[in-house]
Amino acid sequence: MLRGGRVGSVHPLVALLWLAPALALILGVVLYPAIKLFGASRSEYSITGLRRGDAGWDNYAKVLEHPSLGTVLANTVTWVVAVVAVTILLGLALAQFLVKQFPGRRYVRWAVIVPWAASLIITSQLFVLLYDYNYGIINHLLINVGLIDTPIDFLGDDSWTMFSMVVVGVFVSLPFTIFVFIAGLNAIPDDVLEAATVDGASPWQRYRRITLPLLRPALMIATVLNVIYVFNSFPIVYTLNDRNPGYLHDTTITFMYKLAFKSQEKDVGMSAAAGIFNVLLILAVVLIYLRIINWREETSR
Amino acid sequence: MTTAPAQASPAAYGSSHRRRKRTLMAAAGALVGFAFLAPYLVMVLDSLRTSSDVKSTPPSILPRVWQWDTYAQVLGDERFLNWLKTSLIVASGSTVIVVLVAVPAAFMTARHRFPGRAAFLLLVLVTQMFAPTALVVGLYRQFFELNMVNTYGALIITNAAFNLAFAIWILHGFFASIPLEVEEAAALDGATRLQILRRVMLPLTLPGLVTATIFTFIAAWNEYVVALTLMIDDDRKPLTVGMRAYVTGYEQHWDQLFAASVIAVVPVVILFAIIEKHLVGGLTAGSLK
Amino acid sequence: MRSMKTSAAIAGMALAGLVLAACGGGTGAGNTPDNTVGGGAETKTIKLVAAEYSKDNTKAFWDAFAKTYKEKTGYSLEVQIISWDNLDQQSSTMIQNNQAPDILNLNAYASYAKDGLLYSSDEVLPESVKSDILPTFVKYGTYQGKFYGFPDLSSARAFFYNTDLFTEAGIANPPKTWAELEDAAKKITGLGSGNVGYALPLGPEESQGEFSMWLFNNGGTWKDQGKWTINSPQNVETLTFLKKLADQKLTQNNPARTNRADAFDLFKSGKAGMIIGFSPLAAALDEDGKVKYAVAPFPTNDGSESKTFGVTDYLMAFKKPGNSNQAAVKAFYELYYQKDQINTWIKSEGFLPVTQSGIEEFRSDEKLKVYLDTLPNAQLTPTDDPTWDRVKLAVQQNLGRAMTGDPKAVLDELQQTAESAS
Repeated sequence: MLRGGRVGSVHPLVALLWLAPALALILGVVLYPAIKLFGASRSEYSITGLRRGDAGWDNYAKVLEHPSLGTVLANTVTWVVAVVAVTILLGLALAQFLVKQFPGRRYVRWAVIVPWAASLIITSQLFVLLYDYNYGIINHLLINVGLIDTPIDFLGDDSWTMFSMVVVGVFVSLPFTIFVFIAGLNAIPDDVLEAATVDGASPWQRYRRITLPLLRPALMIATVLNVIYVFNSFPIVYTLNDRNPGYLHDTTITFMYKLAFKSQEKDVGMSAAAGIFNVLLILAVVLIYLRIINWREETSR
Repeated sequence: MTTAPAQASPAAYGSSHRRRKRTLMAAAGALVGFAFLAPYLVMVLDSLRTSSDVKSTPPSILPRVWQWDTYAQVLGDERFLNWLKTSLIVASGSTVIVVLVAVPAAFMTARHRFPGRAAFLLLVLVTQMFAPTALVVGLYRQFFELNMVNTYGALIITNAAFNLAFAIWILHGFFASIPLEVEEAAALDGATRLQILRRVMLPLTLPGLVTATIFTFIAAWNEYVVALTLMIDDDRKPLTVGMRAYVTGYEQHWDQLFAASVIAVVPVVILFAIIEKHLVGGLTAGSLK
Repeated sequence: MRSMKTSAAIAGMALAGLVLAACGGGTGAGNTPDNTVGGGAETKTIKLVAAEYSKDNTKAFWDAFAKTYKEKTGYSLEVQIISWDNLDQQSSTMIQNNQAPDILNLNAYASYAKDGLLYSSDEVLPESVKSDILPTFVKYGTYQGKFYGFPDLSSARAFFYNTDLFTEAGIANPPKTWAELEDAAKKITGLGSGNVGYALPLGPEESQGEFSMWLFNNGGTWKDQGKWTINSPQNVETLTFLKKLADQKLTQNNPARTNRADAFDLFKSGKAGMIIGFSPLAAALDEDGKVKYAVAPFPTNDGSESKTFGVTDYLMAFKKPGNSNQAAVKAFYELYYQKDQINTWIKSEGFLPVTQSGIEEFRSDEKLKVYLDTLPNAQLTPTDDPTWDRVKLAVQQNLGRAMTGDPKAVLDELQQTAESAS
């Protein structure tokens, strides 16, 4: 990305004025509840939600000792990696297609926006219906076409659940990813590509040497955002696992919610501790990722 | 405005080849479009059949008995209209606030040096990671203390705050990529910082603005957990929360739920259709090169 | 520089103005001054958080009730209706923030009593009302000798069966023993085309409910004379029987992952031969009019008298500092338990009464006879024990594992959970 540089330094107070509303919103509405969350994680709560006193670090210990923690963490990694990887690859391919001129392109783009326009709750409930063993269209079609004999229990069969979740995850993440890439592709000046063609570069060489590097910002944005959104995605995992007991397919965020309200622990303090872990985890992942990116940028200069 | 490809003259070789290629691509486009729409087509079909037909074995793709009055029912339902109104207020309000707040902040951080700049950007990045779901209890307490539970304002502020980081980030990138010369030229002409922002830089960041707008609108339109916790009166609930009333443990009206869902998708698609060409309009048109 | 600062300042103020204007767009439902002022000032307005039983009736009833309450007593009632799938989360959030309502409609109460949050009947329930409530409900609403869990309505589970499928499978009468049930299930499943003998929901939503009906009818209990009996031999036998049904494919696919609504859907679409249902299911079936069904007493293992499984929800009252809301709350219960209030509502929602006088009133409905006769002897889950609140959750999350695992091991684990939580 061409850096325009900074026109000059400004007095911190001036900067503060321009940043003040943003700071107010962020500190007031995002950080303050986060601090409250931390406070809750160090408190002891009864099953009714009543705060009973301080708990020190007990809640954190309880979370770390929870028998399902390993499963939940493994699920989270699988979930995030699978959804993000597939979304980025598929999104790039589809974006490439959707920047080409062809009749009806505008309508295809409108169609692509729909999974994003519909709320996650609705889409998740829709997929629960589509995946259903008895009433689901997917099983119905697969049987009619002759691919399978008996319905597949997409959500209840442990070997299929993660796959079913990932499909939905990719489906709802594709739209905005595609548009981030379209914006990125459109920002690549035509003359650069034309010059390369004139120089005799093959399409693949053009892609690798020019397009992809210029897409770096878009790729970075899409990846980081997807990692954050998918990691924090609650409705999909929760709704698709509505009938599944225990924590077998939960990710850290549904684990946290269930700890507070649905599980046999039903412990707000423990849930808050899990929530803090959640944040630290994603923080670590993103910071590591950015470290790697920046590092490369420095060495490539 | 989409960039126009170089047009071959009609009599050039391969015009039929080009036509075939475009037809193939149009077909591929239709396939892609269908793939993205397919589940929602099922939803539309389910909104046109009876609730019990939705849960019948074996399922039939087309309704066994078409039921046409569900949409009229839903649109005539006063509760539904209230939910729709709330969603519009909250989503629009959040979007407006995000743009008003993110633009100055991103402009300042992208193009100026000042102590604390890096810290601010880090703060923005970090807050991106917080999900409202995790913080909802804290949010409830906070708004309760401010006597703002059950108000539109609470939802607008919350949605704005949680989408702010993304907007700042996107706009930061766009602002930073504007060449120095553009700004210097305007400064030489005697423009104040605010004027530079408004007259010169903002137009160049239009795709970024549009992106931030649509992201925030959709996020606020589809937000569920915070609205669920903060909005108490039924007529103040947004669509995402209110619609759940159609299907409960005791009675299920799937047809109404899906009709309502279809209606809920429409404003977003319209908004997108309006601004789409700005979203993907390149920076290459008309800027100083 | 200066003009820029001014413009920025103006922008900032405009923004603040916008935000404040948006705030003004609604009344905060938070602190009503009366409610939180302690020191003996009497509350004039109390808040009710009620569960949404139905879209049409619940809100209508409570709104009308609030009006009558104001007219008759002068106190005001603020009503908030929350759907069942969010009620737990919302009520927990309220209590975490010390914003408990004055009256909460929930399906548990004992943990709240244990935390010292509730008024007992001595403080807010007229004696005439207490003696009218069915003794079995008083028993299960009593914690450590005090009556805290006031029932709002009740429902009894019953054995529903599809008469068409029975005829088609050549079954003359509803089963009276479990052996007969298994036999009937075999015949119905044998009909093919997706028909299921018995719809068994052991998913996390309410597996304790399904299992309760079964274990009561094998002479088992959850708790007996103060001791947990979850892994009693009878209960192990019961759970093993259910596993047998599932293994023989006489139930729908994956019972451990089926919730009540899914099982009901199957029955409503005419594909299930037998199911445990209750009055909302009957109402839905009657409205649809597609499935011919009948209700019978639930079969017992050995053919002895059938036991009814009853469930109530609670309307419990939260203490406020200085007992400021006591008078208003007492007036609430006085009005609620009046015959024309409570019974009218219960009828419209399609549930069963909780008072003797209610039973008399409902007798006129022939269809309810089978429920009303057995209601006074209904067995409930041990809701009077705060530990049950935790055990219930454990059962919900774990019972289904018996379908693919070892029933005795699952029940042993649950027994341990109950004992260590006590």
